[in-house]
Amino acid sequence: MAASATATPAPSAAFERKPGLGAWVFMAPLLLWLLLFVVVPTGMLIMTSFVERDSLGRLVYNFTWENYIRAFDWKWLKILLVSIWYAFLTTVICMVVGYPVAYFIGRSPDRFRTLLITLVMIPFWTSFLIRTYAWIAILSRDGLLNSFLISASIIPAPIGMMYTPFAIVLGLVYTYLPFMILPIYTSVERMDGAMIEAAYDLGAGPVRAFSKVIIPLTRPGIVAGALLVFVPSVAMFAITTLMGGGSNPTIGEIIQKQFTSARNMPFGAALGTLLLVLFCVALWATRARGRDDAD
Amino acid sequence: MKIKTHLLTAAAAAIAGTLFLSGCDKPATPAPTEAPAEAAATPEATATPEAPTPEAAAPAAAAPVTNDEPKELNLFCWSEYVPQTVIDAFTAKTGIKVNVQNYASNEEMLQKLLSGGGQYDLLQPSEYIVEAMIKEDMLMPLDQSLIPNLKNLAPEFRALDFDPNNKFSVPWMAGTVGIVINVEQVTDPITGFADVFQEKYKGKIVVLDDAREIVSWAMATNGIPMNDITDENIEKIRPTLQAWLPLVKVYDSDSPKTAMLNGDVALGIVWSGEGALLLDQEPDKFKWVLPKEGTHLFVDSLVVPKTAKHPKNAEMFINFILEPEISAMISADFPYLNPNVEGRKLLSPEQLANVASFPPSEVVAELQTFKDIGEQSSVVDDLITTIKVE
Repeated sequence: MAASATATPAPSAAFERKPGLGAWVFMAPLLLWLLLFVVVPTGMLIMTSFVERDSLGRLVYNFTWENYIRAFDWKWLKILLVSIWYAFLTTVICMVVGYPVAYFIGRSPDRFRTLLITLVMIPFWTSFLIRTYAWIAILSRDGLLNSFLISASIIPAPIGMMYTPFAIVLGLVYTYLPFMILPIYTSVERMDGAMIEAAYDLGAGPVRAFSKVIIPLTRPGIVAGALLVFVPSVAMFAITTLMGGGSNPTIGEIIQKQFTSARNMPFGAALGTLLLVLFCVALWATRARGRDDAD
Repeated sequence: MKIKTHLLTAAAAAIAGTLFLSGCDKPATPAPTEAPAEAAATPEATATPEAPTPEAAAPAAAAPVTNDEPKELNLFCWSEYVPQTVIDAFTAKTGIKVNVQNYASNEEMLQKLLSGGGQYDLLQPSEYIVEAMIKEDMLMPLDQSLIPNLKNLAPEFRALDFDPNNKFSVPWMAGTVGIVINVEQVTDPITGFADVFQEKYKGKIVVLDDAREIVSWAMATNGIPMNDITDENIEKIRPTLQAWLPLVKVYDSDSPKTAMLNGDVALGIVWSGEGALLLDQEPDKFKWVLPKEGTHLFVDSLVVPKTAKHPKNAEMFINFILEPEISAMISADFPYLNPNVEGRKLLSPEQLANVASFPPSEVVAELQTFKDIGEQSSVVDDLITTIKVE
């Protein structure tokens, strides 16, 4: 659902450049992919959100607003706000942790750069679910971390870290950190070092050079990284269920439940559509700001 | 601007990729090999027969081992419920290749079947789904002449409410829901749901992440028959749930034993099979209790959908798993209540003594099963979600 929101810039950018036939041929696979896996599924999602269902959960094609009327209820809004809060925390932490890493990698000598960026990617070789289970083994009451802290006499009794909001945010940060590092790294790598030298020559201190030169030059990477972390964090259900234990449900978990145990696809689709609209608005806001800055 | 567009396109692709990843099914159990490994590590498991050779598994009654269908069977079953050894033994005996696909919930199976996307010959739904499928005319009547091993089933499993004469379904495994207690952390006697949900155990409880289950416990505690899910009864149990749910630390249907084993919780209301594995693993640490307020019997059965392409192969598989040796193999890996009396005779005394697997038969006789509640499942789900976030 989020993909279509962020995908819109691609075609519009293409229009601006007035592509020739050749460009369309090269674009065809991408456009077809977008059509089949973004446009059509999104259309199906929106359609499903406006129909009824029977007792087995099969769709009954009668038009209804019922699903949306139900969706505007304080309890779902509360869950959504909590999910957005977790995603926001995740994004901020990823940015604070990821920016220095990305900057360091982007500024390091060529021969190390590939190695370092590969190290960032290596966790992707293992399924994120398995890595999440590893966290359970580390954080649980009789787990590695508690055993270590107790044997080192740092704490007297085990701390309950699993199945808390802390565990949820930790799981999200751990999973999405590379999505923050990679785009910022790309920006840093392309940044012209002469600009920073110029800033120093003109009398800027390190803080000023960072805030007035480096940050604006890497802003595209920061924005892309923030979107890449924030959007999937809001909708994630697997990590939040495993790490949160289901007692702090997120909007992703609620939507997943509608498609399974509640046998209520239309309502799940309505919640999904609302989330999609939210992302579109957020994206539009970021883009509008980006244009203002450019002017 | 150019860089930005480039990055946003990359972002779109990456987000789409992430959605693909996050869209993957959440796993049914922490590690695919965990349960069999646990079972194999116990002394009971070593006492059970090895994977039988085709000859050893030959049935007493002469059921045909060939038919005119292509040598293929599409089995759509719960994850962590059908041992690979059983499937291999079936292929060795009949030459039929079994394509296994897994699901993590009854509803997931139903969705995939109804969407018509997959080709399935044999399904493994729970009792209330079997009932709904019979009602909706989705199941093929079984040819009982091809399933002579039906005689191995205990009489009570041949007269179940939802399918009294096994016309459409043959029980695979059954079980109950009960209370598992970590006696190192909980010393007070626990006899029922009301003992579990006490303020002093706040943050020490794991329960099944299943709205229907939780509601049925609250109904039992209030003396309401568990299938009477009406708006009025839901209002009656609301205060009970409002007192209970804030005490719960973990909701997990897939592997509630994980939180028990890791010490994160001390009390659990879990499937009997999960309880049996805990008792097997640490008999001194864990205790199993059937709640005095009452519990229910769940029965997972094999059924053949009307759309099946290989119904005879499916019936052959059903007959195969009813053979005593095969049934004992299933029990070794998944210690639920085995409905197969001939299979039970091959189990070790330790296996049969596991109170979570085999509750007293007079208790079993009293247990009710869940009935299909149709659209109410959404109401029940909402009720639990609402109270969770209150």
